Amino acid sequence: MSLLQGLLRNRKALVGAGILIVIVLLAIFAPLLTEYGPTQRVGRPHQPPSADHWLGTTRLGYDVFTRLLYGARVSLAVGFGAGLLITVIGTVLGIIAGYKGGVVDEVITFFTNMILVIPNLPLLLVLAAFIGQASPLVIAIILGFTSWAWGVRVTRSETLSIRQRDFVKSAEMLGESSWRIMSFEIFPNLISIVGINFIGSVIFAVITEATLEFLGLGDPNTVSWGIMLYNAQNASALSVGAWWELLTPCVALAVLGLGLALLNFAIDEIANPRLRTGGMLARWVGLVRAGEGRL
Amino acid sequence: MSEPVLSIRNLSIDYVGQAGDFRAVRNVSFDIGPGEFFGLAGESGCGKSTIAFAISRLHRPPALIRTGSRILVGGRDVLSLDPAALRALRWREVAMVFQSAMNSLNPVLTIETQFYDVLSTHAGLSRAASRERAAEMLELVGIPADRLSAYPHQLSGGMRQRVVIAICLSLSPKLIIMDEPTTALDVVVQREILERIHRLRQKLGFSVLFITHDLALMVQVSDRIGIMLEGELVEVNEARAIYTDPRHAYTKKLWASIPRLSGGRTLGDAAR
Amino acid sequence: MIFLLRRLAFYLAAFLAAATINFFLPRLMPGDPIRMMFASAGSELSLENLNALKLTFGFIDAPIGEQYLAYLRSVFTGDLGRSIKYFPLPVTDLLGRALVWTVGLVGIATLLSFSLGTFLGVMAAWHRGTRLDTAVSLSSIFASSVPAVVVSLIMLFVFGYTLGWFPNGYAADPMLDPAWSWTYLSSVIYHGTLPMLTLVIVLTGGFAVTMRNNMINLLGEDYIVMGRAKGLSDQRVMLWYAARNALLPTVSALAISLGSVLGGSLVAEVVYNYPGLGNTLYQAILARDYPVIQGQLLIMTGAMLVANFLVDLSYVLLDPRLKRA
Repeated sequence: MSLLQGLLRNRKALVGAGILIVIVLLAIFAPLLTEYGPTQRVGRPHQPPSADHWLGTTRLGYDVFTRLLYGARVSLAVGFGAGLLITVIGTVLGIIAGYKGGVVDEVITFFTNMILVIPNLPLLLVLAAFIGQASPLVIAIILGFTSWAWGVRVTRSETLSIRQRDFVKSAEMLGESSWRIMSFEIFPNLISIVGINFIGSVIFAVITEATLEFLGLGDPNTVSWGIMLYNAQNASALSVGAWWELLTPCVALAVLGLGLALLNFAIDEIANPRLRTGGMLARWVGLVRAGEGRL
Repeated sequence: MSEPVLSIRNLSIDYVGQAGDFRAVRNVSFDIGPGEFFGLAGESGCGKSTIAFAISRLHRPPALIRTGSRILVGGRDVLSLDPAALRALRWREVAMVFQSAMNSLNPVLTIETQFYDVLSTHAGLSRAASRERAAEMLELVGIPADRLSAYPHQLSGGMRQRVVIAICLSLSPKLIIMDEPTTALDVVVQREILERIHRLRQKLGFSVLFITHDLALMVQVSDRIGIMLEGELVEVNEARAIYTDPRHAYTKKLWASIPRLSGGRTLGDAAR
Repeated sequence: MIFLLRRLAFYLAAFLAAATINFFLPRLMPGDPIRMMFASAGSELSLENLNALKLTFGFIDAPIGEQYLAYLRSVFTGDLGRSIKYFPLPVTDLLGRALVWTVGLVGIATLLSFSLGTFLGVMAAWHRGTRLDTAVSLSSIFASSVPAVVVSLIMLFVFGYTLGWFPNGYAADPMLDPAWSWTYLSSVIYHGTLPMLTLVIVLTGGFAVTMRNNMINLLGEDYIVMGRAKGLSDQRVMLWYAARNALLPTVSALAISLGSVLGGSLVAEVVYNYPGLGNTLYQAILARDYPVIQGQLLIMTGAMLVANFLVDLSYVLLDPRLKRA
């Protein structure tokens, strides 16, 4: 579990995880943090932020702060749910393609490349449009089934190099079944790739869910950050000066993006030592400054 | 012996770590005379390549050349040169052949351009003059001049290494460092390259610092040999003496690990 | 040549796949696909027109295989049907008009952000471990983790509404007539600045990170050390030995990222009310104008494939190892 240890020692990872934990806690304890309900008209329309309504009200008189807290639940659930689905599909197909080779590999690689050249958002738009008003669950599922291609590509190429290593060869000699080799010999060596894939997929899912809902393909009755954007846009929040209605979900999505980005960066840094910055370099600079040596 | 081409005094190099340092080279001193072929042998990781990199100061952090070390090339202290003087010294006075033959030429530039880089930077030659000089150098290593317009991937591994040697010779440097120049090549090519270097050295009179873990090979080609163990230079002597009369226990151990060949040894034998 | 021909064949297959999705999707949904596809038309569509549309989309009295062929025939003869909302405007006309703006916006934004991102990535990699590197890497990853919607909205709020530096919509002043005049062109540039800036912010980070990582992975290569050993200037080694080689994987990453480039542009167009594909599509989604929604998938896929092919061509130019064939 060197990845976990590395993460615990990495400052960026800790800050990123901290941001995520705060958002998760706010989502879980939403009912304790606000007296209003998320779909309850509790004030006059477009009230600016005040002591009663910390982040103002929407055009329909909902409390923005309340919707922000409850909306986090949906955005996180879709992000992590779809992210998990994307990662599982990508990892399984990638390992199978890389390990089995031959026709299996060719078929998987062909479909992977094909999905990579069909533009993702236009495809999702068509799917979502035919489904009608897509609930968060439906959005998570179609994201999961259309966005695994990148993961397959990365996992496959890593599997190809692991397959050549001695411990895999010896497991083959011992006659272990191929699914055992794939799940117990190869998979554990892919943990950091899977980690990067997972965080990247969560980021992608959060972004795409918000985008689809903003474009009017979500179910307008859900409470999520994407629907908040959609409602604010429909209410022309900016032109009527109700910036709080629009900027609240914007800032929330940006902060969530920041937390995930820091985690992503940290995992990348730990998994690929060549990309690592800082650390011993600080000591090196110190020694040079102290006149102990040079390059 | 006249003034040495390369003189290394008390060279210590560390790789700085987060907690402590790895001492790659410890207090090493040796000289290489004009026209001399000096071999540096030892297991991988003993610090021989670290020394080679230090001579033209190619190290990057976290490598650290400790204060007190001195590297003199033609009597000049390399460690005190400013960046411009250092660039002028590189290749003009100290050229280098790297470990991986397949990999030391830039894959996206033609052979001609890789010559031109050197000749225009150091000698201010025009494209045309550089092409002429490059063709001449290629001929020296037995490659037809029409390969100048080729890209590295169009040449075999042995040819690429000969191209690198030709680029090394193009400014007539005093010292050529060869860091395991033949390990990536097959035996026949390896031998051909070493014979060629031998002849070129007689003709042009440069010195060579030759680095390899292959002691048997080294004894065949070197005038003098230094043996390194864990960052320290444990023995320096004439090549013949290293072979017939090794002093240090480690040198003896190295020999013991190599199946010895009896009788007249030639380049071909040594290449196993 | 063989490399390019193989790519072309693959692109044809990909386009076919997009058309196949279009064909089966309405037929897989519960309910009557014909009613669903043309539901938004109401009773305004005459029977004659409806039948023509049905034919275009392969809704004929025949086995599914023949229906499929009928649909493919329409697609490959360039007949994508007619918009229901703007009946009888053909989908190709409606989208083609919008495509010009999108291609301009996306093309310039991609060129700008690719150049800027690659430059930043080169600098960060060359000075790896320094503050510059950390600043570039962190801000790049952050910028590519925030939805394009959010960036667009914040930019619009700050520069459009609060500061009033830039207009809040349209591709040009609606009072002007389109012409090759400086007045019109400057208006186009003025209106395009904010969407362009948004796209550059959204895209640059991704290119910078890719270039940085590719280049750092190359810096240990022997030919780069040899470049330094040759006594070349830092710039020459950085640009022609390191960056030039790191550019190859970066360019192939560019091809993959074009999809998200298009996605970002769709969103920015909606926010800035820019008359490109994104906005046209947004109107179509709101009106559930299915022929247009389906048509955009084909047109976007086509645009992606053309762009990919251009990237392939530039790859052949950049990598001498491919030129031989």
